[in-house]
Amino acid sequence: MSNIAFNRLQRECKEVVTNSEISETGIMIEILNENLTEIKGHIRGPPDTPYAGGMFDLDIKIPDQYPFSPPNVKFSTKIWHPNVSSQTGVICLDILKDQWAASLTLRTVLLSIQALMCTPEPKDPQDAVVAKQYMEKPAVFKATAEYWTTKFAKGAVKNAGYQALVDKLKDMGVREEEAVSVLSCNNWDINRSTVYIFS
Amino acid sequence: MDDEDMSCTSGDDYAGYGDEDYYNEADVDAADDVAVTPTHSEEADYECLSVNQVERVFIDGVNSLVSRISINEKFARILLQANHWDVDKIARLVRNDRNDFLRKCHIDAKPEPKRKLSSTQSVLAKGYCSVCAMDGYTELPHLTCGHCFCEHCWKSHVESRLSEGVASRIECMESECEVYAPSEFVLSIIKNSPVIKLKYERFLLRDMVNSHPHLKFCVGNECPVIIRSTEVKPKRVTCMQCHTSFCVKCGADYHAPTSCETIKQWMTKCADDSETANYISAHTKDCPQCHSCIEKAGGCNHIQCTRCRHHFCWMCFGDWKSHGSEYYECSRYKENPSVAAEANHVKARRALEKYLHYFERFENHSKSLKMEEELRDKIRKKIDDKVNEHNGTWIDWQYLHKSVSLLTKCRYTLQYTYPFAYFLSATPRKNLFEYQQAQLEKEVEELAWAVERADGTARGALEAHMHRAEHKRQTLLHDFFF
Ligand SMILES: [Zn+2]
Ligand SMILES: [Zn+2]
Ligand SMILES: [Zn+2]
Ligand SMILES: [Zn+2]
Ligand SMILES: [Zn+2]
Ligand SMILES: [Zn+2]
Repeated sequence: MSNIAFNRLQRECKEVVTNSEISETGIMIEILNENLTEIKGHIRGPPDTPYAGGMFDLDIKIPDQYPFSPPNVKFSTKIWHPNVSSQTGVICLDILKDQWAASLTLRTVLLSIQALMCTPEPKDPQDAVVAKQYMEKPAVFKATAEYWTTKFAKGAVKNAGYQALVDKLKDMGVREEEAVSVLSCNNWDINRSTVYIFS
Repeated sequence: MDDEDMSCTSGDDYAGYGDEDYYNEADVDAADDVAVTPTHSEEADYECLSVNQVERVFIDGVNSLVSRISINEKFARILLQANHWDVDKIARLVRNDRNDFLRKCHIDAKPEPKRKLSSTQSVLAKGYCSVCAMDGYTELPHLTCGHCFCEHCWKSHVESRLSEGVASRIECMESECEVYAPSEFVLSIIKNSPVIKLKYERFLLRDMVNSHPHLKFCVGNECPVIIRSTEVKPKRVTCMQCHTSFCVKCGADYHAPTSCETIKQWMTKCADDSETANYISAHTKDCPQCHSCIEKAGGCNHIQCTRCRHHFCWMCFGDWKSHGSEYYECSRYKENPSVAAEANHVKARRALEKYLHYFERFENHSKSLKMEEELRDKIRKKIDDKVNEHNGTWIDWQYLHKSVSLLTKCRYTLQYTYPFAYFLSATPRKNLFEYQQAQLEKEVEELAWAVERADGTARGALEAHMHRAEHKRQTLLHDFFF
């Protein structure tokens, strides 16, 4: 890693750790190795969204050409969101691709992702199934995203109905994560989900 | 016969002509000798320019724009490049809404960013560069937008973009700022790094040439020549420096009568289907009558089995007698009208068969062309021998040389009729095309047969073959290319 990158990252880490505004917005970073190439990001689910109450972790990898190339960022906590892959956590966000600018920082990246959690852009989806549900069945989308928040991001709200369906599939020998994923993709229709899994 | 040919009669160095690329030969116009006057030229109007001469073209463009509108020269280049060097269009758009146009062309900054993401605004420290997060810089270069960054960061930014192949579109480092760095600015940033400077200038030239509708790099390996032409048809150019010939529009091998789009489709198809097509490219086949293995030695597709003396066609294995008729059936693939009713897998098989039919012929003529290059060498030696034995002069035997050149020319066009035919839908026009293609094919094979046995063929008969082949070629090009 170049000198510029190292200096920049040290500065950025300090910025995120010390800035009081940060504790209010709920974004944090955690350094995983000394040469600052791997960093963990945390975003608190924004209030008044299905992600409220959850804490979402992100894997951040810093490329050699940083900050002239964008950092590689993806969710490590599973999240139900049109612009994030429900399978891999890969994020579709312009500033992580062609709209990256060297003057952007990890702080601005995390704030942008948080903004994306508040305002999904279903017209530019990463996960087509989620985006379709978001557009066509907003109530199911909201309930599913909330359920995923409680399931994977330690959120507090419970959805007993959804949990019962997941347990039903678990009784049939399906792994819990797969059960959640298949039910979510099939708008919580237990019959279609079983057909999907067992056919 | 032109002066250059005449000077060869001294006999000292005319053997050198074998080095040229005869596939695309432009200068040997055998048509003159066989009295077929082409109505159109296959050669594009063009000039070969050096890098310095091209720079002159760019400067002329800049000057003509600067004389029309008031704009700094360094921005004029960006405007021209973004608008296909169309001075009239630029002048019109500038008059229409100058500020908007300059913003759209990445010369001026947008009024204000939509999102406030940057950390630059919040930092007020003197001489601070937000990219390296250091302060105390005495100089912070910036573009028209006024976003300041240290020289070191600018340099790293330029290097990073260059490593992605970006040169003329290097943007400001500020988020959501789309202002492009003019070459003058970039060069001042990298002035002390000769290697980077070289790379930048090379990429910049590439971008400038690619943006210019009349310029095209020579496709020859490592050739620095740039072709300038206003040709609209996909005609042929031949680089004066490396002698490579190619289509002036798309840069692929010259492909008349096929269009640029079709030849691109064809090449993609061939690349995709190369595995299935591979098996047919074998050089040997069995004689359909006695089944002895025959290796094709010459370019002619009229094969005579050395064992049983059976005459047959290399492509369809049919008896050669059936090819003597006016309608040369072999070059024709008959579309099956009941295809639509067939099951999908049968359709796929038919589609593959159809492709293979055309591909096999395309490939076959390509191989014949390579073999006829050897024929050319043989004929040259034959002429040498005859002249040495005082059996006529070099000029007397020139018709042999011309005959093989013409054969190459005709077979080359014939080869490129197959991609054309493949993509033609079954219409009367296709029937006409395939009729003419068959006629050309018949004449080409007869000419090849005659040229390979040139000793036994009288000059008059050979020249009659030449005339007929070139005539069919001209007719086909006239009806389907020009
Ligand atoms: Zn800097
Ligand atoms: Zn700027
Ligand atoms: Zn060249
Ligand atoms: Zn072309
Ligand atoms: Zn035989
Ligand atoms: Zn045949």
